[in-house]
Amino acid sequence: MSKKSHPKKKSLSKTRAKKTNFFSFFKKFVVAVFVGCLFFIGTTIILQKKAQAVPCANSKSCVSDLSEKIENNATGTFAGRTVTAPTIDPNAKSTHLVLGDNTKREDKHIYVDLSTQTLYAYQGNNLFMKTLVATGKWGKTPVGNFHIWEKLVSTRMAGGEGADAYDLPNVPYVMYFYHDFGLHGAYWHDNFGHTMSHGCVNMRQVDAKQLYEWADAPSGDTPGTAVSVCNQVTGNRQCVQNNPIQ
Amino acid sequence: MNMTRRHQLTFELETLSIIAISACLGIVLAMYFHNHPKKISFPVMDTQLSPTPTAPPPPQVDSSSQTSPDGTKKLTMTITSKNDADTKSYIFTTTDADGSNQQQIYTAILPPTESLTIPFNTWSPDNKYIFLQHNTKEGNEALVLRANGEPMTETDQSFNAATLFAARGTPYTYQETTGWASETLLIFNTTNADGTKGPSYWLEVPSKAVIQLSTEF
Repeated sequence: MSKKSHPKKKSLSKTRAKKTNFFSFFKKFVVAVFVGCLFFIGTTIILQKKAQAVPCANSKSCVSDLSEKIENNATGTFAGRTVTAPTIDPNAKSTHLVLGDNTKREDKHIYVDLSTQTLYAYQGNNLFMKTLVATGKWGKTPVGNFHIWEKLVSTRMAGGEGADAYDLPNVPYVMYFYHDFGLHGAYWHDNFGHTMSHGCVNMRQVDAKQLYEWADAPSGDTPGTAVSVCNQVTGNRQCVQNNPIQ
Repeated sequence: MNMTRRHQLTFELETLSIIAISACLGIVLAMYFHNHPKKISFPVMDTQLSPTPTAPPPPQVDSSSQTSPDGTKKLTMTITSKNDADTKSYIFTTTDADGSNQQQIYTAILPPTESLTIPFNTWSPDNKYIFLQHNTKEGNEALVLRANGEPMTETDQSFNAATLFAARGTPYTYQETTGWASETLLIFNTTNADGTKGPSYWLEVPSKAVIQLSTEF
């Protein structure tokens, strides 16, 4: 009897061992997949949060305040040099009211092409402006789709450390579109078409004035003029954006 | 008993290794996807509209101009071809934005193989200086002038940034002037001997000092 039952027992234990091995492997596999996924998700969240934590464009003035400031006859500093600020007409107050065409405000769209350092301003299909600008060199200009949230005829911008420190009064025609990142006139350099800012979109004063008068600040429930910062603007106004902030 | 404990230990070690490997794999994958994001392209405007492509302004063969960044001054270049067409004469004038206060500041006669152009960033931020691009067979140079027409040196109306840089005997070759970093600082780029991008420089116009930059423009 015992001789007969022995092979059966053996095969039974073999089957059990196989089953145990399979379950053990399956368990390990499930745990491995679970842990892998957990780390993948965790790391992705951390990296995304890190990437999206956009610092201020102007490290000092961003923290103090972003209000209108007209300081005629004041001098500024940039690149270790003293610069003469332009005179701002105190009567040309900042306004939330629309200076441009009220009826067509929803059609206005500003595109900034980071690859060519070019700004395009469209009203519907009509090109209102095409000009060279200077975007972030010492700080990145945020890529994404925004709206102008504040228009200031002039303000002070300050930031940087050591030799990179700057303090610029009477920065004219400021159009903030994301935190303290804005489109504005730059009187301290003339190097448009090349990156030259701490994250803002620098424009020639003559262009900034024209855009400021055309673009709309938010009014009631209506948002301000749309601003798209694109890695590249291809034909047919296709805005290519890598990792847009919003 | 010993065998079972050893077996258990091996099993736990195996499991731990697999967990560690999969954790690493998860991190590596997450970092890969973070560094190689999918490009998002979307039409920002209604695609049904047929936007009119903006044609660049027709080329002005005989005249071109550039407004200063503050919009108060204008530099105009007028090119006149001689009858024999062997040379072209260039006349540069500045005016106020409304066309008043016209002043001739520079003239040049060049063979057809050379030309002068007004760069977009020609004006210094304070409108005291301008630079012109001189295009030759060998490349381009930057001529620096006073916007009021006064001479730059005791003998010359202008000075050449490329020549000035070459005289310094650096291992780099002057490539292109991009614009003004401040009221008196011109930014120019250079190339290495193998043609790759070299360092950028500042040229301090009043002193003609050349300063190498750590930042590339």
